[in-house]
Amino acid sequence: MNSFRLIIGSLRHYWRTNIAVVLGIVAATAVIGGALVVGDSVRDSLRQMSLDRLGGVDAALSGPRFFRERLAEELADQYSDLEVSAPAIVLPGSMTRSADGVMQRSGHVEVYGIDERFWSLMRAPDLAAPSDDDVILNRKLADALQAAVGDRVSLVLEIPKAIPRDSLLGDRTETVTELTLTVSGIVEDDTTPGRFGLNPAQQLPANAFVSLDSLQEQIGLAHRPASRRNPTEKAARINALFFGRPERSAPLDITDAGHTGFLNRELANHITLEDLALRLVTNEKHGYVSLESEQMILDSETARAAMTAATELRLIQSPVIVYLLNELWNPNDSDKFSMYSVAAGVDFPTSPPFGPFEYVAGGPPDPAAYSLGGPIPAVINEWLAADLGTGVGDVFASRYHQVGDRGELPELERQFIITGIVKLSGSADDRGFTPFVEGITDADSFADWRQPFPMKLDRVTTRDEDYWDEYRTTPKVFLARETAEALWRSRYGSLTSVRIAPTDGTPLSDVAKKYEERLLMLMSGRAVLDSGSRANRSGRASRRIIDGETVQVVTVPGLYDKMSLATTGLVIAPPSGLLFQPVKVQGLSAAQGTTDFTGLFIGFSFFLIAAAMLLIGLLFRLGIERRVSELGLLRAVGLAPRQVRRLFLCEGAILTVVGGVLGGLAAVGYAALMIYGLKTWWYGAIGTKFLFLSVRPASLVMGFLIASAVALLAVWWSVRQTRGVSTRELLAGTSEPRLDAIGKQQRGRRSGVASLIAWGLASALLIGTMSGIVPQTEAFGGFNWRVVTFFVVGVAALVGSLTALAWWLDVDRAAAVRGQGSGAMVRLGLRNAGRNRGRSVLTASLIAAATFVIVAVAAGRRNPAVEQPVKNSGNGGFTLVAETSVPVLYDLNTEEGRAKAGMDLVGIDSGKRDVVEQMRVMPFRVKPGENASCLNIYQTQLPTILGVPPDVLQTMRDDDRFKFADTRVEQPWDLLDSQLPDGRIPVLGDMNTLLYSLHKGIGDLIHVAPSATPGGTLQIEGMLDGSVFQGVLLMSESNFFRLFPDQAGFRYFLIEADPAQADALSSLLETQLADYGFDAERVADRLASFLAVQNTYLSTFQTLGGLGLLLGTLGLSTVMLRNVLERRGEIALLRAVGFRAGHVRWLVLAENALLMLWGLGAGTLAALLAMTPHLSSTGADVPWAGLRVLLAGVFAVGMLAALGAVREAVRTPILSTLRAE
Amino acid sequence: MSDAADLRVSGLTKQFAGAAGTIDVLTGVDLAMRRGDAAVITGPSGSGKSTLLYIIGVLDEPTAGEVNVAGTIPFRLGPIDQAKFRNESVGFVFQDHHLLPQCTVLENVLIPTLAGTKRTSDVESRARKLLERVGLQNRLTHRPAQLSGGERQRVGLCRALINEPLLLLADEPTGNLDQKTAESVGTLLLEIAAEQQAMLICVTHSLDLAARFPRRYELTAGKLILVDS
Repeated sequence: MNSFRLIIGSLRHYWRTNIAVVLGIVAATAVIGGALVVGDSVRDSLRQMSLDRLGGVDAALSGPRFFRERLAEELADQYSDLEVSAPAIVLPGSMTRSADGVMQRSGHVEVYGIDERFWSLMRAPDLAAPSDDDVILNRKLADALQAAVGDRVSLVLEIPKAIPRDSLLGDRTETVTELTLTVSGIVEDDTTPGRFGLNPAQQLPANAFVSLDSLQEQIGLAHRPASRRNPTEKAARINALFFGRPERSAPLDITDAGHTGFLNRELANHITLEDLALRLVTNEKHGYVSLESEQMILDSETARAAMTAATELRLIQSPVIVYLLNELWNPNDSDKFSMYSVAAGVDFPTSPPFGPFEYVAGGPPDPAAYSLGGPIPAVINEWLAADLGTGVGDVFASRYHQVGDRGELPELERQFIITGIVKLSGSADDRGFTPFVEGITDADSFADWRQPFPMKLDRVTTRDEDYWDEYRTTPKVFLARETAEALWRSRYGSLTSVRIAPTDGTPLSDVAKKYEERLLMLMSGRAVLDSGSRANRSGRASRRIIDGETVQVVTVPGLYDKMSLATTGLVIAPPSGLLFQPVKVQGLSAAQGTTDFTGLFIGFSFFLIAAAMLLIGLLFRLGIERRVSELGLLRAVGLAPRQVRRLFLCEGAILTVVGGVLGGLAAVGYAALMIYGLKTWWYGAIGTKFLFLSVRPASLVMGFLIASAVALLAVWWSVRQTRGVSTRELLAGTSEPRLDAIGKQQRGRRSGVASLIAWGLASALLIGTMSGIVPQTEAFGGFNWRVVTFFVVGVAALVGSLTALAWWLDVDRAAAVRGQGSGAMVRLGLRNAGRNRGRSVLTASLIAAATFVIVAVAAGRRNPAVEQPVKNSGNGGFTLVAETSVPVLYDLNTEEGRAKAGMDLVGIDSGKRDVVEQMRVMPFRVKPGENASCLNIYQTQLPTILGVPPDVLQTMRDDDRFKFADTRVEQPWDLLDSQLPDGRIPVLGDMNTLLYSLHKGIGDLIHVAPSATPGGTLQIEGMLDGSVFQGVLLMSESNFFRLFPDQAGFRYFLIEADPAQADALSSLLETQLADYGFDAERVADRLASFLAVQNTYLSTFQTLGGLGLLLGTLGLSTVMLRNVLERRGEIALLRAVGFRAGHVRWLVLAENALLMLWGLGAGTLAALLAMTPHLSSTGADVPWAGLRVLLAGVFAVGMLAALGAVREAVRTPILSTLRAE
Repeated sequence: MSDAADLRVSGLTKQFAGAAGTIDVLTGVDLAMRRGDAAVITGPSGSGKSTLLYIIGVLDEPTAGEVNVAGTIPFRLGPIDQAKFRNESVGFVFQDHHLLPQCTVLENVLIPTLAGTKRTSDVESRARKLLERVGLQNRLTHRPAQLSGGERQRVGLCRALINEPLLLLADEPTGNLDQKTAESVGTLLLEIAAEQQAMLICVTHSLDLAARFPRRYELTAGKLILVDS
């Protein structure tokens, strides 16, 4: 005989009880292990979705800049045939299909102009790449348009323009183009093109694939050979380049950073000035080379690199800014004027070839003499002096356009004071000051200008035309560069050209060649890549300065910090912004997921796990109670209490292992069920049907270990309960320490006092809240004090109810149980509940706690769709939210702006016109980024950023729009204008986006990777609470332009309008602004879609919590069984004296019902009290019916389960039981 | 005799707290015994007989007084040493034999050895001999459920004696048995205790059993009175 044999013998002998314990452990292991498997499955599914989404694409270069298509071939030449370099144009657009007078529209279409190279990366061999006017739609888009193969669809796109549309010379008239296409194929959701996208998201995009050649032709990016009118040949251009392997079997399906690094190095080697929309113009006449941009303005990065290259090559440099002045006149004689003259801001160099100017009179201006608002010191040429009849010291007036925020061009009037008159010869006689602008500088006369704004051609004089004929864009006015930049600098930059010249007699062609090489080295990041590779080897990734102040070596923080450098390396963003991103690596990294579904499902299953644990504890305890005298015997014969406990713990451990192993198998089943749930009942939580079950043995082992630890804890707890019981009591069958009458009285008194305190607190807080003493201000996390107080009231009520039960069960009821029949049995049953108070209160507490959470969660459901616009709420008082695929430049609040945007209200009925005229539109600038709302479960790094214009910000401030959380300042909107150290940019974001998607809080930083922008660091300054801004970040417009100067116009709008007219207004705007891809929806609906995720999570929690509650009721029936077993003798006696089986049934069921009803009632009452503020709001959407069914079901199951105990009580043989007693 | 006693109980008192106040169960019990002695304690129900027995067997604690077993004062020991003391020096025979239903007869007898350090073969051999002594040599592999009441009590007796205790304490050992079986169990109890040189203290209501003991005490009003010697 040894301990092991004793344990095995015991396990076999008490197999019924042990099987019940094992089942409890199986349940716990299944739930915990299943949660881990769900987490793995979601992660692996996301990972597979990333791979499926990208197909053969490993790396991508995509951005706003258009570069040569030839670059694709140049790169392909560096690689084997296994790899494909695919050129493409990626643009947002909108698509419509008309059939039978009904128009179907989709506003957010990702348009891909592609050829067979890209298509080979899509790995869709059954379908040919689109050609001519074909379009291939993905299933989502085809369904939205109700389109089938062969249908004709209309695609509207913004025409990319070199000169920004919202700059002075930008083309505002021809903004969009329409392509009529035939649907040649539809790709299904489970194919790569069906879900292709660069941003990690599990939602399917609306994709349209068109022929690259056709698209280039349509939007003016096709190859243009040199002609007499356009002597410069233009290469075909693209804005995206995809790199990868078409064949699945190709080695390395996943590009590592080293691969992308090599790709970027090759890219840097092949970039030309044309790719950067730059050109070097040699001016043989004046002996210099000028760097100009097709944008007309050199962006600040380019300007800085241009001047650095010149300094490094020891060249003379002359930066220039030119501006077009509409009209110059003599204020003393308005008949003396000059139209459409160029003014140049220069440094008035004194050395050739840029100077010196030859002055007829006076000299250069002193920039220090200029004061804001005062006359501008300037030099004019002798032609203008003659035209205006002015001399040195005279003042002349000017009018010029200033570019407004909303595309408007207000004409400003400013005065200049003449400090000198320069001869129209030498360096002042140079039309090369002004960069070439197609349609303007090459026009033969003013009448031939491509008018960037309405020109007053009737005012153009013969003198003006003569000047144009002879001198063209030669400036008539010169002013200090500093002054000119202050007047005319735009967000796109401040210089229009940088002129360079050799200090020696080096031929200009050689100068141009060397300069181009050096400039490209700086712009392409080639110089930096060399340094970067050194940094890579040393394993450092940090912001550093290379070559003095020339270029910043910037790693992409945040994006890769979770991945080792060995696999990702450094990604260095060059000033050109042209950079391949390892999209597949990034996609796989993002597949780690923003939400920890393991944690989520363990949380959802909390009550299930708790109930399983309780059940394990209760069942094991039941087993111990049946063997309590055995415990006593073992102690009596000399086994130390610890040895006895160890024997029982060993039994528990064996049961745990058996249950854990079986539970591991059940975990797979549980996880499969949860995955099925996520794809069906809880589809809203994840929003994809591409989930699959992925079982990793490590997770099952982990689940087994966790569940085993918890189960052993439950076993230990139940064994430990016998610690205070003496051996003699154990021998006598007593399993718990007995309290004497005095102790019981004292305990009851303590419970009573605790109950009174809890109810007193609840009442006091309730009165305080009702009477307005409790403030409505925010307490924390977006919750105001009223909400918090009610929650405390609820919890106090829960504690009060349960302590009241504890008190009631301890009350010494001297009064006899009177009466007859079932009633008397019920009363006796209720009295019985007090016999084992701890047990009764524990089970009632479990049921109450589970009910509290389930009811509170259900009561917390919101339906914003029924909420009215309220300024201090998540909808900010707005009715509609709209987005466009093409930026809108104009102010939709004004008739003029609406007209310019193409809205035509003629013929619209007056009611609708009134709605349009009364609407208030808040436009936002948009830098598209990743979707960081709760609708996206991928890990996002940089969400879409909205720039808030100053007037919109003022409205937000004045009206106290939106609700903030944890943002403890009087006016949170002011935070967007705050100055932060180290140039950090303050941003606001929605609490859900920040906490759950980006995992950031107030004060945290978000790094913006430089990509054709200088990059920067954002600092979270405030959090919006449950707002329509979920998934985006907000920053001031000025900061927005600092980071994203190339983002023109507005693409996001909040519209304040009569909610009753919202649908009509939405429809009208979508129709009238169809060219912009205007897509409006109710703010309430947008919020509802965000909340759908939350509500789905609540449903999941409720379902699993309900299961936990059901399991808890089984625990209660176990308690009942224990009670019955303990009282076998009494029950036998009752039956011996004539009680029927029915009486005994009532006795047991009454006790069971009391505990269940008390638990359910206390939990429900407390939850409803806690959720009162929400229940009284309009958005409350409590599923009362479902809740009632759930609670009734729990009660019914609990009562049915108790019938097991009843059966045991009734079948107990009377005689033998009485004898045993 | 008392000076050379192997068991000396002196001034033992036991009180219980109740709703109506303190109840004095034992009010100063004195008892002395030597190895091989056998004594029976009788008294009315609730007089404290079993309490006294459990205190002597270190399953309960006295309110005051002392128990000294062969120089060891068990109530001065810690819980682990108390268990060891009980295992090595005390053997219990209960009215409800408390046999483990999952164990065989032999295993039940061996249960106390689980806490000891004796060689398995030695204790098994002793168990077999004890069982043979009580006539159960053919029931070694039987389960308690397969035994009669008298047989179960004999197994309980063997279990009590397996570690060769100094003290053999029997609480109503024949209380659940018919007269014939009780007689046989009583005989065995006395014989084996004498053979093992154990001090036997038996608590019983049975006058027949009590009459067979050389010394009989009556527990009355919390005091132990020698009635017959």
